[in-house]
Amino acid sequence: MRVDGYAPIEDYALIGDGRTAALVARDGAIDWLCLPNLDSPSVFAAILDATRGGTFELQPSVPFQSSRRYIPNTNVLETTFTTDRGSVRVVDAMTLPDRRLEAMRETVRSVEGLSGTVPMRWRFAPRFHYGAGTPRCEWRGGIPVAACGGDAVAVMSWEAGTPVWADHEVHAQFEIRDGSRAMLALTSAYAEPLVFPQREALAARLDGTVRFWQQWIDARRYQGPWRDAVARSALVLKALIFSPSGASVAAPTTSLPEEIGGERNWDYRFCWLRDSNFMIDALLELGCYDEARSSFWWFMHATALTEPDLHVLYRLDGAIGMAEREIPLDGYRHSRPVRVGNAAFQQTQLDIYGALFETAWLYSEGHHALDYDTGVVLGRIADRVCDIWRQPDSGIWEARNGPFQFTHSKVMCWVALDRAARLADRGELPASHAERWTREAAAIEQYVETECWSDRLRSYTRIAGSPGNGVVDASLLRLPLVGYGGADAERVHGTIDAVNRDLRRGDFVYRYHADDGVPGGEGCFLNCSFWLVGALARVGRRDEAGALMESLLARANDVGLYSEEVDPQTGAFLGNFPQALVHLALIEAACALRGPETPAQRTRRAPSLGAPQR
Amino acid sequence: MTIPSAIAGGFIGTLVLTTIIRAASELGWTRMDLALLLGTTVTVNRRKAKAIGYVFQFLLGIGFAVAYGEFFEIIGRSSWQLGALLGALHALFVATVLVNVLLPVVHPRIGTPETAANEIALIEPPGFLMLNYGRNTFLITLVAHIAYGAIVGLTIRGI
Repeated sequence: MRVDGYAPIEDYALIGDGRTAALVARDGAIDWLCLPNLDSPSVFAAILDATRGGTFELQPSVPFQSSRRYIPNTNVLETTFTTDRGSVRVVDAMTLPDRRLEAMRETVRSVEGLSGTVPMRWRFAPRFHYGAGTPRCEWRGGIPVAACGGDAVAVMSWEAGTPVWADHEVHAQFEIRDGSRAMLALTSAYAEPLVFPQREALAARLDGTVRFWQQWIDARRYQGPWRDAVARSALVLKALIFSPSGASVAAPTTSLPEEIGGERNWDYRFCWLRDSNFMIDALLELGCYDEARSSFWWFMHATALTEPDLHVLYRLDGAIGMAEREIPLDGYRHSRPVRVGNAAFQQTQLDIYGALFETAWLYSEGHHALDYDTGVVLGRIADRVCDIWRQPDSGIWEARNGPFQFTHSKVMCWVALDRAARLADRGELPASHAERWTREAAAIEQYVETECWSDRLRSYTRIAGSPGNGVVDASLLRLPLVGYGGADAERVHGTIDAVNRDLRRGDFVYRYHADDGVPGGEGCFLNCSFWLVGALARVGRRDEAGALMESLLARANDVGLYSEEVDPQTGAFLGNFPQALVHLALIEAACALRGPETPAQRTRRAPSLGAPQR
Repeated sequence: MTIPSAIAGGFIGTLVLTTIIRAASELGWTRMDLALLLGTTVTVNRRKAKAIGYVFQFLLGIGFAVAYGEFFEIIGRSSWQLGALLGALHALFVATVLVNVLLPVVHPRIGTPETAANEIALIEPPGFLMLNYGRNTFLITLVAHIAYGAIVGLTIRGI
């Protein structure tokens, strides 16, 4: 049910082709699509402005109910509309290239009558450049085409009524009978001529796309519990990898709010280095070795211009400029501002150094040798970590009132130096500075144990040097997951208990209760809930972890997707959608509960080189 | 033109070109790595790829020097200035067509704007003027090729 023209976030499903992605609402409207790439300006953005954003609706023109699913093991969406006059099925997909001539990007909407005769309508309202570009609307060979600058989109239709251009929109109505079929296709081009494919070619590509996704899932090696949820998460993640470069976006959307009416609205269509670490970990766990290699190569290539300093996030083409600006859209349910770009790229976040070395370590553990040049670069970065770990930073949550001495950042610096020393020990990094890395890792551990622990909370604290008035932080759940403290360490248990006590609301976990420099409130971060599952599993509290995992899986939307956050009171989704980090955390949690540990997990839990034991 | 002078010019020119691009890479001005780009046409092993890539690079450098020599032969004169001009045109061709368009077509592991989920690119596409590899990439390529052309123009004899 839409409110003010806005569907609940949980009513959306994702379709994508590895280059761009769209959100399809339960009522058949494509309300979000950027072309030609995931980080390009939008053509449909009704999710951010119901009147000016642009949309592509396809639905019965009489009252209906709808149910949805993905065709099993695919990113192809199937929506069934049921009306008093009959029922109809719509299949939505972004088709993948085959050997025929295809458009630069294609979205196919296939309609099939299941029973009775159902009156249908569709409305195609493209609005380029986040609604700012007025389209030039024309007919080309009987096909409606809208163009703006170098962008052009066409909507082709077969057995789907007679389209009419009116007020920069194309409308049509048609009836679909039991057993009959219709098809709509959105094709697009940027800086090149549009391609108008034949219906048969589109149908063949749709079939090929279904086959590809199913074969891709068949090739995954995961055999643990909750296989369907893991497979769905894997499919989401694959769709969020930008195939031309191997980078992955944190989410395909911008500015879905963390609080309805609030201003915590951010653009997530960038690649965070920390997410890349989680992504490569998940890809290796799932047996996606080629994708893992691609991501790692992108990782090392993207950071080449800035090393030994690392940036927090990078554009999908590896560039680092992404100035944040506000655009004149109304915002999801009037949650302003709508932002494009992300100012977090200017922050210092020390934990990403740990992410880089964890990635290199996992990649190496996955039987991929690091080449000499990569080893030299990593050695320079490890030296840099030795120089800067004592500095304050903005932390994993990108606090805008910092910098502070975040405990999680210190621990991730420890991870960086610990893994660097291990890699040097194995001969994958130059060993000349390994002794220094080991010595500094021990110094970090000593700092964390003396400055970041609160006897009052019986927990590590969010910020160092605040034992008397410190607060707990959900990022500390990562400690057992990166092998800090060992599985039986009393302090790790205490920290998990403190998170449960201070931050947990039912199945959900807040990040922290502290000022972060941004006005307004937020929901509970779903990745924190899955981190809690993983942390509990890692310290041996498997029953507790399993029960929470079951509850969390029931909180997904009807097609198995999660947004960044959830309102703990109502269960409504908040924040950008679907969010890679949540699906990555789900896979990590499932793997933690899968049974015997993998060699990589065992190594993480092994005593660190030279670090003092407690 | 004498073939030995073209080979000598191509070898020295490629040595200088390679050094300029490598130095720019080490200084963090570009992510361009011609040896990796060329070598990964035949292997995914990064160590081997770079070694093979350097061999390819020198062979191509010598081949282009012979082509430069043929051009000098046709117009009946050669000089380092003419070589530098040819090098600048060569750089433009490399950045707009050769690496940006032709190489991704024949390279099995380099991405293109059309690469979708059913393919896995190991190397990101270079983009127009190879700007995906850093904003200074074209400028560095231009300087390196002007140096290459000037050396070839200076070295080739017998016109």
